[in-house]
Amino acid sequence: MSQIAGHLEPYLVLSGMLFAIGSFGFLARRNAISMLMSIELMLNAVNLAALAFGAFIPSLAGQGAAFALLIIAVAAAEATVGLAIVIAIFRNRKTPLVDEYDTMRQ
Amino acid sequence: MITAETVVEVGVLPGYAPLLLLLPLIGFAFTAAVGRRLGKLAHLVPLGAIIATWALAMSLATPALTGGLGEAGASMPLFTWIASGDLSFGLGLHVDALTGALLLVVTTVGALVHLYSVGYMSHDDSYWRFFAYLNLFMFSMLLLVLADNLLVVFAAWELVGLSSYLLIGFWYTKTAPGLAAKKAFITNRVGDVGFALGLMGLVVVFGSLDISTVLAGVEAGALAGPAATVIALLIFCGAVGKSAQFPLHVWLPDAMEGPTPVSALIHAATMVNAGVYLVARMSPLFAASHDAMLIVAAIGIFTAIFAASIAFTQTDIKRVLAFSTLSQLGYMFAALGVGAWIPAIFHLITHGFFKGLLFLGSGSVIHAVNGEQEMTKMGGLWRKIPITYATMLIGTVAIAGLPPLAGFFSKDEILGEAFKFGYAWVWLVGMVVAAMTAFYMFRLMGLTFWGKSRVHDESHVHESPWTMTLPLIILAVPSIAIGAALGFPFADGVLVHALEPIFHPASEMLGHEHEAWTLFGIDGLLMLASVTVASIGTVVGVRLFRSDNNEFLGRVTKRLQPLYDGSRNRWYFDDLNDLVFVRFGRKFANALWWFDRRVVDGTVNGVASLTSSGGRGLRQIQTGRVQNYALGIAFGLVAIAAAYLVIAG
Amino acid sequence: MPLPDVIPFIGLGWSDVLFLILSGVVLAAAFAVVFGRDIIKSGLFLILTLGALAGIYVMLGAAIVAGAQVLVYIGAISVLILFAIMLTQSKLAPVKLAFQTQVAPAALAAVLLAVLFGLAFGSTEWGSTVFTDTPAATGTAPVAAALFGPYLLAFEIASVLILAAVIGGLYLAMEPKGDEVGEELP
Repeated sequence: MSQIAGHLEPYLVLSGMLFAIGSFGFLARRNAISMLMSIELMLNAVNLAALAFGAFIPSLAGQGAAFALLIIAVAAAEATVGLAIVIAIFRNRKTPLVDEYDTMRQ
Repeated sequence: MITAETVVEVGVLPGYAPLLLLLPLIGFAFTAAVGRRLGKLAHLVPLGAIIATWALAMSLATPALTGGLGEAGASMPLFTWIASGDLSFGLGLHVDALTGALLLVVTTVGALVHLYSVGYMSHDDSYWRFFAYLNLFMFSMLLLVLADNLLVVFAAWELVGLSSYLLIGFWYTKTAPGLAAKKAFITNRVGDVGFALGLMGLVVVFGSLDISTVLAGVEAGALAGPAATVIALLIFCGAVGKSAQFPLHVWLPDAMEGPTPVSALIHAATMVNAGVYLVARMSPLFAASHDAMLIVAAIGIFTAIFAASIAFTQTDIKRVLAFSTLSQLGYMFAALGVGAWIPAIFHLITHGFFKGLLFLGSGSVIHAVNGEQEMTKMGGLWRKIPITYATMLIGTVAIAGLPPLAGFFSKDEILGEAFKFGYAWVWLVGMVVAAMTAFYMFRLMGLTFWGKSRVHDESHVHESPWTMTLPLIILAVPSIAIGAALGFPFADGVLVHALEPIFHPASEMLGHEHEAWTLFGIDGLLMLASVTVASIGTVVGVRLFRSDNNEFLGRVTKRLQPLYDGSRNRWYFDDLNDLVFVRFGRKFANALWWFDRRVVDGTVNGVASLTSSGGRGLRQIQTGRVQNYALGIAFGLVAIAAAYLVIAG
Repeated sequence: MPLPDVIPFIGLGWSDVLFLILSGVVLAAAFAVVFGRDIIKSGLFLILTLGALAGIYVMLGAAIVAGAQVLVYIGAISVLILFAIMLTQSKLAPVKLAFQTQVAPAALAAVLLAVLFGLAFGSTEWGSTVFTDTPAATGTAPVAAALFGPYLLAFEIASVLILAAVIGGLYLAMEPKGDEVGEELP
């Protein structure tokens, strides 16, 4: 059998690294849309982990996939609203850079 | 040593004894409440109350002084004032010969001053207030003398001080009386701190302030050595303040701002005697400490000569008498300090009468010349106000110590016993002071009554009404006679017999024996010496001031200019007080204020500003940017997960 | 001729190679998304990432999820993102800096996270995990059984959520008609 693709750990490691990359992008990018894309990366990492568990643990046979589908649905909703907010703010601030959104600053 | 045989039975006072306190108190309350509406009749109730008090006091004092109350006197416990744990202080009345002597002076002079005030204060708007205060004072003084518990004495001590303050500052709308009243009260307070500390010491040692308990304990030897000295001196502090001895003498001359009856009553005959009374009452305590006695004598005799030297150059008639009072009080304390207890009380009595006479007389003079108090503007008054003149002359002869008037008896005994007990220096200074006393008193007479008239408006000089001259005449009688009445035969008179049992324990502790009086021995010699000295002073005074001697006096003054100036300025002691306490005190207070502002407030403000700057610093975290917050979340997550891995892994 | 079971020189199975290729693409594209200067290129690389991920999903036997991924994520969300990028392009904003001032701490946090995940996944005893490849396990039937079984409530709520998101998105993105919402700031 395959040594890598037949074990659970590689998928999880991939998922973790993808999540780390996504969190770096979220914390370090200036453009709001870049932040949203990083969020999508993170969500996909979670999807991958869920599917991996669903595939490798017999008692979780279809549940991993169900979970992943629901996450996709939620991600879609969130992307919609998030982008709408970014566009609304852009109209006010004329810039998509989150540095400038600091009216809540003390 | 108290043994079974030496315990003497204490008698019981007759039931009307509390009236001595209640009558003046009611007089005060009544007059304070409704006096304003009574106008010129406001004196009736207070005067009546005091005369009744006098009668009752005499009925108690007479048996006390003639042995009718027994050796230990009589007492009447009234009620327990404070009962707290182990401590208990009660109020009760106690009358013995010493009390009797004080009662005699206080009530007699008090009653006469009340009568005098009817005339003297008749033009005053606050007539009623004066009598209210006078009655309050009488109540306080009687309480002080009659109390059998030192805590009550202390309370009465303060009440007397309060009454004095109210009366000195009677004309409070003017600046000077207010300042003088404050000065008196504050100076008294300084002494009272020592008094209170001494009382606390007594409570520590004896657990009680009941006079008989304390004295019995002292006589049994429970208090000796340094403890006795310290407590005795602390209690003496109170006496120094109340009786205006050096260095707390500064208030008495200024207290002359009050009306003359006040000066006569409080500052000659009664309140200032409270200190003498206190020391006399606590005689065993003082006898237990030789050092304390020495200090008492030293301060006393020093005050005597100090004050007498100032009286030489004063030109305000009341101020001369004030310094004279200081000097005579010094005599009394010197007597107490050498162990001559009975002569001290004797002098207290005689002084009360003739000084009261002199003050009331001076008030009459002032009344006659329409309020003028400077002797430089008097003179030649002896024809115009004969009654005043005659009575004041009697008083002057009495104070000079010329026989056979009262002052001679008491002063001679003081000086005699001082010498016989071995205090030759006290005797010597006392002699000098006697001469000085005679001198400045006859100077006063000369400037006021003899010579050419320097009065501003001669036509208005008139004798005083009968309400003022009658007390003068009445007081002249004891000034003449009471010396002989109480003190003759020498060392064997009424007073000696009455007071001896009281001071016997103290004299025993000092080792003083009662010797027989020898006319042709030491006693006669001493008497001759004191008479001589008094005569010298009298003659010099009369000759210099009999008529106007201005050039001669002017030359003498110029020769002795520094001494003259020093004496005139009361030896700059008031200036010293001002420098040390007022000026330096103000600087010190400013320094403390700086400390309070900078350090204390600074610390508080510093804490506040630290908090606010800390807040300002922490506020930097709130950047308003989501990513910064998210970074915080990420680090937090990492930390928690790592901790979990470490701990659980 | 059938393919050999194990690739001769490398010594790995075909599945492994496929997995390695796909995961390499995922990671490389993810890096490109995060580190890319030009945001449109970032968006396109996002699409590539999502596509490679769909391939991995197929490897895991969840074909329906892969299909949903392509349809929804690539077909809808990514397009939406591209539209938003184009709508929010501003000539005024300087494009020099792509990264925040806090890029270094962020990198540190990300690295730490990665290490943490590695440690956690590596040190856990996963027990007996068997890759189940049967049609009964993989495929759509168990997914449907789960979705319309225990997870029915979640399914319904998700649909309501999408409805709410649609309405919200519409409202937020509307042009302001003089209301308070979306008021132009000075």
